[in-house]
Formats: sequence, C-alpha cells, structure tokens
Amino acid sequence: MIPDFALYCMLNTLAVIIISPLFVSLIKKVKAWTQGRQGPSVFQTYYTLAKLLSKEVIYSRNASWIMRVTPYVNIAAILTASLFVPLIYVTDSVGGIGNIILFLYLLVLARFFMALAGLDAGCSFGGMGSSREMSISAIIEPTTIIVFAALAFVFKSLNIFDMVLVSSATGTPVTPTLILIGISLFIILIVETSRLPVDNPETHLELTMIHEGMILEQSGRNLALMELSAAIKQTLLMALIINLIIPFGLATSLSLVALGIALCVFVIKGTVLAGVIGLFESSMAKTRFFRLPSLFIMGFFFSTLVIIIEVFA
Amino acid sequence: MTDTAYLEAAIKILFVGVIITAAYIITTRNLISLIRVYALQSLALVGIALALYGLEGSLVLLGIALVTFISKVLIIPYFIATIQEKIRIKRDIDFHFLSPTSSLFISLGLMLVIYIVLSRILVEIPVKGNLFFFGAVIGISLMLMGMMVTFSRKKALTKVLGYLSMENGVLLFGLFATELPFIIEFLIIIDLIILVLLTTILTVGIDSTLEQYHNRLHRFYLWDEKGDAP
Repeated sequence: MIPDFALYCMLNTLAVIIISPLFVSLIKKVKAWTQGRQGPSVFQTYYTLAKLLSKEVIYSRNASWIMRVTPYVNIAAILTASLFVPLIYVTDSVGGIGNIILFLYLLVLARFFMALAGLDAGCSFGGMGSSREMSISAIIEPTTIIVFAALAFVFKSLNIFDMVLVSSATGTPVTPTLILIGISLFIILIVETSRLPVDNPETHLELTMIHEGMILEQSGRNLALMELSAAIKQTLLMALIINLIIPFGLATSLSLVALGIALCVFVIKGTVLAGVIGLFESSMAKTRFFRLPSLFIMGFFFSTLVIIIEVFA
Repeated sequence: MTDTAYLEAAIKILFVGVIITAAYIITTRNLISLIRVYALQSLALVGIALALYGLEGSLVLLGIALVTFISKVLIIPYFIATIQEKIRIKRDIDFHFLSPTSSLFISLGLMLVIYIVLSRILVEIPVKGNLFFFGAVIGISLMLMGMMVTFSRKKALTKVLGYLSMENGVLLFGLFATELPFIIEFLIIIDLIILVLLTTILTVGIDSTLEQYHNRLHRFYLWDEKGDAP
C-alpha cells in the first residue's frame, strides 16, 4: 500500500504540473474564438512560464521577507493540496491525505500569503487587490464549506479519495444531487480562480483587478511560481468536478495502459470543461462587487438543498 | 422494470431542472433570460408529464403535455417577449421588501417546512411512492416561490412571470398529488393567455385615463399611426 501511494504521489504531482498550463491556455483560446480572434497557441502558457523562470527577480525597496517567501509557500501549499485530489489514478489514502477540510485550509493558506504579499510591496494596487480578495473570500467561505459538506453528505465520507472511489465504483453518475453539487462546484471554481463575473483575469485595469493586483509586484521566477500555482489550483478544482460528477475512465489499478487511458480521458474531459468555462466567461459581464453574493448564494442554495435531500429523503 | 427505473430517474432529474429554473427566476434581473428560463421550466414540466405517461399510461397526461407545450412553451413566452421588446425594458432591477438573496434563503426554509408538513399530512393517504411525494413538495414550493417573485418585483412583466411560475407549481402538484381534471387545466391555460394579453395594458399603465393611455401607447411605440419605424 505504501509503495503504491508513493507512486501515486509522484504520478499525481507530475500530471498536475504538466496538465495545468494547458487548461489555462485552452480557456484563453476558447475566449479568443468567441471574440472572433485567433488567440495564442495552446502551449503559450508553457512558453511564458519557461521565459519567466529564466528571468531575474526584482524586489521593491519596501518589500520584506514575506515577498521573498510567498511564492514558495504558495507553490508548496498548492502542490500539497494537489496530492489530495486524484487526477488520473486513485488508490487508498494514507495518513489522512485527502481530508477535505485540510484541503480547504491549504488553499486558504496559499491565498492568505498571496494577500500578504500584495500588501507587502507597498504598491497601492496590491493593497486594493488584497482587500478585495479577502472580502470575497470571507463571503465565499460559508458557501465553500456548505458545498463541501454537501459532498461529504452525498458520499458519506470526509476523504476525497473515498469519494472518488465511490463515484468511480457506482458508474451511473447522473443523479439529481450530483447535478446540484456540480453547479455549486462550478460556482466555487469560478470564484476561487478569479474568473469573470468576479474578476477579469485578462485585464490589468486598476479599477477591477483582484488576483492580478496582488501579483503585480512579483517578477521573474517568483511570478512563474505564482502563475503556476494559480493554474494548478484551477486544475484541482476542475479535477474535483470531473472525477466526482463524471468519473468514468479513472484508473484504479497501476498498469501502463490504464494510466494512459485515464490521462487521455482526463485531458479530454478537462478540455470540454475548459470550453464550458470559456463560454460561460464570454457570455458574462463583470458583476458589480456588491452584487456578487447573489452568485454565491446560488451555490449555497443548491448545496443546502442537497443536504436537506440527503438528510430527510 | 429497467424502463420504469429510467423513467423515474428522468423525472428526478427534471425535478432538479424545475428547482434550478425556479431559483434563476427568483434571482435574475435580465428580462430576456427570465422569459427563456420560464419557457425552459414549462418544457421540464412537459417532460415530466410525458415521463409520467410512460409510467402510468393515462391519456390525460399526454393531453396535458401537449396543451402545456403549445401554450406555455410557445405562445405565452412569445407574447411576453413581444411585449418586452416593444416597451424596451431589458432589466428589472427594483425589488420590494426582499432582495434576491433573502428570497432564496426564504425559499429554502419554505421547502423544508412544506416537506415536514406534507410528510405529516400525507402519512395517512396511500401515496404511490417517494417520487409522488417529492413531486407534491416541489409543486407547492414552486407555487410559493412564484408568489415570492410576484410580490418582490416591481415591474408588471416580472410580476406576471411570477404568477405564471406559480401556475406551473399548481400543475406540478396536480400531476403528482391529485388527479386534476383535464378541462380545469385547459381553462387555467386559457385564463393564463388572457392574463398575458392583459399584461400589454398593465405594463403600459392601468392607472391612466383613456387619453393618457393613448399618449403612453405612443410613448412606448406600441401605437404607430403614421407607420414610421419606432
């Protein structure tokens, strides 16, 4: 069991690092198509990351150690969190890895340091970004907890591994509760990755930016790490939707064929989901900041409904 | 046997569709998508009626599905869309008493209360199973959610849509809990169509004298004597 799990850790981390930039580019490509543009190549994010990794880092004169440590804390927290979500191969969990509450806390740790770094450089845009990010995360947190609680109610477990094992074993995925949870998870995905009705990932317009504002002062390989951790976070949340709602094709045994098929199937399903996200973003305008709760509340409503159904029916 | 299981699963998924559309009708501010979502909700009801026909084989259900499809999916949304296009209002951003967020919270509470109440009431009567009980719960919830739309919106158009979604709730309850005679369903739908026609007058202004009303028709480009494009 332990060697299996060690292998799982390596496979999963490798897969998530390789696949994540692809999904980011895919969403950009879909958005470009809907705007009638050609768009950058699907490998553009890889090139950008490679370019950034070879550039030097410049710190602001006001920056303290927080600025220096944040990219590493961020990528470490997100990569640890990536162990919690099986992408292509699932085995029994070891040592409490996969606990849903710890998963949420790891994501919040990364976000907390990112907000601190936004304030740290002394740039006013960073401060605005951090303040907005913290306001949003304070509002979205109850919704996130309720959505994950609904997941725990449906799958009768607090461990993501168990959930994925159950959902890949049952095979018939489309049940009413899973549809409702799928919608809630999609809303969480949109909000957590700072996408369109909440934040526009493409603009550096000072009035609207949230995520971009916080990483404005990062440069060189630090920026590459921040971008990569944002991409990985997005892939993790996408993988949660994919592997819980439409789990077919997931490898449960360690054979090269099964892993290959699982990887292909995951990339295909992720591409479809990226397309959906791109279309969703293209069909939306950015909402006013104080209107955002009406988006979260939909997720809250559906997942509370799931809990009610699970408890009473 | 598997056929029945599939149909029941389909009905459950359609229930979810009805709930999602109801939540959307409560929260959205965009009139065009409001009308489309109403049509979608009615389409889900048509699907439920058809699936029930598959389960029970009663011809009345087929009739209800047909009448609902023609009136609520095609005619009524078309009329409302036309009115909406003419009075050139795209959004309804005013809310009385309740914001969409609190409306959703209240509807959650309502569903819970209705569930508990109905499980007390229906315990005596032999209901045909879980599915029918849920249909009744969702039907009454939809009715009350529609009522909430009716009193929390300010524009006459959205009020009418709330009323229409209330009627969808009645239809759903009728499909599952009682045997609603077909003729009554038919009369309700005729009423609805007349209501939608009256909306044309209501949206322009019922509080005016005839002269003022004529002027308003001009202002909203609903009456064009010279024939020039509005």
